[in-house]
Amino acid sequence: MRTLVGILAAGLLSAGGCGPQEKVVRIALALPLTGDIAALGQGIKRACELALEEAHPKNRFPAFRLEIKAFDDRSDPKEAVDVANRIVSDPRVVAVIGHFNSGCSIPAAQVYARGGLPMISPAASNPKLTLQQLDPGWKYPKSVFRVNTTDDIQGAYAGDFAVKNLKLSRACIIHDKSAYGQGVAEEFRKRFEANGGRTLSFDGISVADKDFNALLTRLRDLSPQMIYFGGDYAGGGLVVRQARGVGEKAAIMLSEANLDPEFLRVAGPAAEGCYLTFLGSPSDLTPTAQSFVEAYKARYPGVEMRAYDHYGYEAMNIVLSVMEKSGPDRARILAALPGLRYQGVLGETRFDEKGDTLNKKITLFRVKDGKFQPLR
Amino acid sequence: MILQQLVNGLTLGSLYALIALGYTMVYGVLLMINFAHSEILMAGAFASCLLLGSPWLQSNSPGVAIVLAMLGGLLISALLALLMERLAYRPLRRAGRLAPLISAIGVSIFLQNAVFLFISDQSLAYPQIFPIRHFETVGVEINSLQLLILGVAVGLMITLHLFVNRTRLGTAIRATAQDASTASLMGIPVNGIIALTFLIGGALGGVAGALNGMYYGTIKYNMGFVPGLKAFTAAVLGGIGNIAGAMWGGFILGILESLAAGLLPNGSDWKDVIAFSILIIVLLFRPEGLFGRHVPDKV
Repeated sequence: MRTLVGILAAGLLSAGGCGPQEKVVRIALALPLTGDIAALGQGIKRACELALEEAHPKNRFPAFRLEIKAFDDRSDPKEAVDVANRIVSDPRVVAVIGHFNSGCSIPAAQVYARGGLPMISPAASNPKLTLQQLDPGWKYPKSVFRVNTTDDIQGAYAGDFAVKNLKLSRACIIHDKSAYGQGVAEEFRKRFEANGGRTLSFDGISVADKDFNALLTRLRDLSPQMIYFGGDYAGGGLVVRQARGVGEKAAIMLSEANLDPEFLRVAGPAAEGCYLTFLGSPSDLTPTAQSFVEAYKARYPGVEMRAYDHYGYEAMNIVLSVMEKSGPDRARILAALPGLRYQGVLGETRFDEKGDTLNKKITLFRVKDGKFQPLR
Repeated sequence: MILQQLVNGLTLGSLYALIALGYTMVYGVLLMINFAHSEILMAGAFASCLLLGSPWLQSNSPGVAIVLAMLGGLLISALLALLMERLAYRPLRRAGRLAPLISAIGVSIFLQNAVFLFISDQSLAYPQIFPIRHFETVGVEINSLQLLILGVAVGLMITLHLFVNRTRLGTAIRATAQDASTASLMGIPVNGIIALTFLIGGALGGVAGALNGMYYGTIKYNMGFVPGLKAFTAAVLGGIGNIAGAMWGGFILGILESLAAGLLPNGSDWKDVIAFSILIIVLLFRPEGLFGRHVPDKV
């Protein structure tokens, strides 16, 4: 017992030895670090760490020690709220980057808002995330921002392309029942029907089931001209593979969270010819992101880059640049973000009155020879 | 259309049935739900997938490679089940019913995380080593993978049925299930028989895992969870502890799910609701399951 006390005391002393005057400031990352889409969360985490490492030698923050603290929301909304509460209650945290999923971001945003903590999402694209702040019942300061554009833009783009360019007018729509997947599928449907298209079916799937043969057999018999899938690659790859497996010949279009090497691995040859929309443009096609791509590859050799890495990097750098002027304080960072004009890897980032980026570009891809080929 | 959905349902159901057998056999002899059984399935899928990807299997003809890979999955899963029983359950055999249950959940978490950390945290593509061919008769299309799954599953179930009902070891298993202490008084090595049930359940689970990987083309450390849950449901539906019940339960659940998802508009949203409602209704009227016999409490 006495030795235990001794060890504890020694621990306290050495912890104190770092200097009580040194202030620690934290930027929290709230991302899926395990679970179905862990790879995407891990990629963003690497990008954020890279951004911080680049800031250190320049000694941009001499007054305090800046560190990243990563939290795992496992793509689970319940877990996300729990994580959000832990983040908010840590007074050292001055900003949070996350969450990845819309389903996680929407409820977690309310927790951050209550604590006056600025949140920048690098990927959540359901319009509701920022729109909920305009609700009359929203009693907190506006604290949610995002560096990626939204699903109303993406869904509309897909709906236009399907009708006007591909001349398709009969669609079956599938989504993965997530806030993101269902949201983007509904946005697609809205524009598709406004353009004169007809929706033959609108179905949700549970991705964990893995078996959609029954649904896809039914859809095949409706003889659609295209299938639209809203959701991430965990479901998209399987849907495409099984759709071709039951002999479905219709065109297939998927939302942006399928733009991942894993989609190609799971779908295999069935992926050939699929269309995908992407929010903004991927890092390798973004001229302003080339130095980031090189730095990332040098820092993490052999690691496959993921689709949202540059968004994570940008979110982190925005927080750093704002903090340089306003100091490590939640309220002052929050006050500075709406007026931000930031030149970075995504080009210029400015936020509208909701907190959404004014960068509303969408890129269209088609799978050819087992690769995502940009169409326009 | 209905026939086509029946084919989908039979394929799905035969996978459920193979897994359900592992739950039901262990429950039969130990009155314990082996919640780590879903990880047996995952282990079988990973073992067979890694084998298929290895160079010394790729040099063989596709047929031989598939058989060898499935045998590899079977072997690894069977050994894993055996190990599980020896290390995690046998020391707790006299510790009441809750302790082994918690232990099983622990084993499940341990195995998932071990694969997550040491093999892959991503889904792996299961090598497709023969082209899938489609056959069509009377408006029903069935592909070579579905035929393979049905054939292997039904073959294994018939073998198991004969083994349990026609051999001395099978009789010993049934005796142990009926009353372990009396069986041991009759000279049956009960510990060995319990290990044997784990071995057989694990082997079937391993094959189911390999087939699952082939059918869906992708495997992942947490892939066992949903099929495990569904198979457990199938075992309860058929009457847990009853071998024929597990098979029928699996087929019934698979067909119900496929028909619900395939015939109703928005059916894929409702299929679990329908399947589980039927489970509840069955259990309300027959708490022992469709094929289970009501066993009075042992005194």
